Amino acid sequence: MSQDDRYKEIIKAEMAKLSKPIKLKVFTSQGTEADGSKIRACMDCGQFMALLRVYEENSNGMLTIKELSIDDNPEFAKRYDLTRVPTILFIDNKGREVIRYLAAPKGGEIQPFIQSIFTFAGMPNYYEATIKQNLSRINPSTIKVMITETCPYCPQVVQIVNNFASASDGKIRSIIIDIAANPDIGQYYDASGVPYTIINDQKTLVGMVGAPEILRALIGGNIRVQY
Amino acid sequence: MFNIDLENVDLEKTFDLIVLGGGPTAIGCAIYAARFAMDVLVVGKTFGGLITTTHLVENYPAITSISGQGLMEMFRDHMNSLNIPYISDEIRSIDNLGDHFELNSFFQKFKAKSIVIATGSERKKLRIPGEDDFAGRGVSYCATCDGPFYKDKVVAVIGGSDSAAKEALFLAQSVKKVYIIYRGKEIRAEPINKQRVYSNEKIEIIYSTNIKEIKGDNSVKSVIFDNGEEFVLDGVFIEIGSIPNSDLVKPVGVRMNDKGEIIINRKSETNIPGIFAAGDVADSPFKQAITGVSEGVIAAYSAFDYVKEINIEY
Repeated sequence: MSQDDRYKEIIKAEMAKLSKPIKLKVFTSQGTEADGSKIRACMDCGQFMALLRVYEENSNGMLTIKELSIDDNPEFAKRYDLTRVPTILFIDNKGREVIRYLAAPKGGEIQPFIQSIFTFAGMPNYYEATIKQNLSRINPSTIKVMITETCPYCPQVVQIVNNFASASDGKIRSIIIDIAANPDIGQYYDASGVPYTIINDQKTLVGMVGAPEILRALIGGNIRVQY
Repeated sequence: MFNIDLENVDLEKTFDLIVLGGGPTAIGCAIYAARFAMDVLVVGKTFGGLITTTHLVENYPAITSISGQGLMEMFRDHMNSLNIPYISDEIRSIDNLGDHFELNSFFQKFKAKSIVIATGSERKKLRIPGEDDFAGRGVSYCATCDGPFYKDKVVAVIGGSDSAAKEALFLAQSVKKVYIIYRGKEIRAEPINKQRVYSNEKIEIIYSTNIKEIKGDNSVKSVIFDNGEEFVLDGVFIEIGSIPNSDLVKPVGVRMNDKGEIIINRKSETNIPGIFAAGDVADSPFKQAITGVSEGVIAAYSAFDYVKEINIEY
């Protein structure tokens, strides 16, 4: 079995367990042909969408992925500050962006992406109780996690941060950035090591960090053991 | 692997066995425990452990050559096939309550009749000026993670072990030049890797040298040798060995050697009944994935025996 086939099998097996509906928006760039038909204008978008359709097609109809063109939705793009394609957005029922992906969920990133879909859909989230107990101590925060496809520690950090965001009732937003695909962002933050986690553009956590460290960085002080 | 399976797992119950760790030792142990029909949970900070940073594993029997990540994906598939729950968390303390243990994390209190400590080890730091300041900006402990940032650049690997040699060989595939900077007179790599290093034109070894400072501006620009020489480069990969992750069990009275490794016997038992240890965190002299798995499997069997005994006592 090829590596791609193996990954498809994993997606198929895991997505079949999704029991709650969820909608994701994916922004690409589309141009209009002379005959009026639409054609994707961004180089990676076709492959990106094909990958996401594998998730959708194996979800028993629970996952719906809507592809939108950034060109045809300028107001939406402005509202969510969309400047890059392809971008995946997890938007909650109050219209708040919870998770943003500037990365293709493939290879090692499959598991945390599926996990994010599940917890965002409302399935059990291991960190939820503790995040909710500490919500009053957490300021509205954006956590950026810079990753690369070959980084073995990145999926763990992505999983934790996205689960924190899903449990935070809109207080935490996570942005997952593949810096091989977005090198300018890596350069902007002088990141030459991954995972590279930045909280509110202030605190930087380099390398593998666990959930307690990320929670501590969000709260900015001692965290008591709470059950 | 992740808490997708939490719908079917009651985290409040008392598990027969909780395995701490996420590397091959821990997963090997959990696979055997599940086959012994034990109620087992794995709690690890990092799935895969340190071996995932290894570019190529070529000494795991029956698998000629595979990346560390690839090997651990196979472990994960095997673990998933047995529906073994894995939680990504870090246990902060253990209470020994006689007939069971309580394991506390920031997120959950777990209960178990037995524990296997397979928390492995973490990379040693040089503890020199600049090391922390440039972490993620030119200082790295993982070539697999960060190697791609140094395409056509000059880097150094600090250390002379087999791991250091393998890091250098991996980096040599993409960088312009790799210097191995080692305090000793001859690198200690396995003969096969030593030969690969010697024959790689991109790799040069600087012997009998320590670095005492890492310098730069936004990113690393040079290192200072102990003879005072400033050596210009773009990245420093530190590979000077590891220290066991054993602090967690010190307060419970688990006996350790002077390196902080947990002392175990041939049954992977520690001096505390019900607590077992295996792999890099234990005091075995030869630390390999295969030996860790072996100790983990023995620990699973010993825990199975132990739980069977205490269940009879109930």
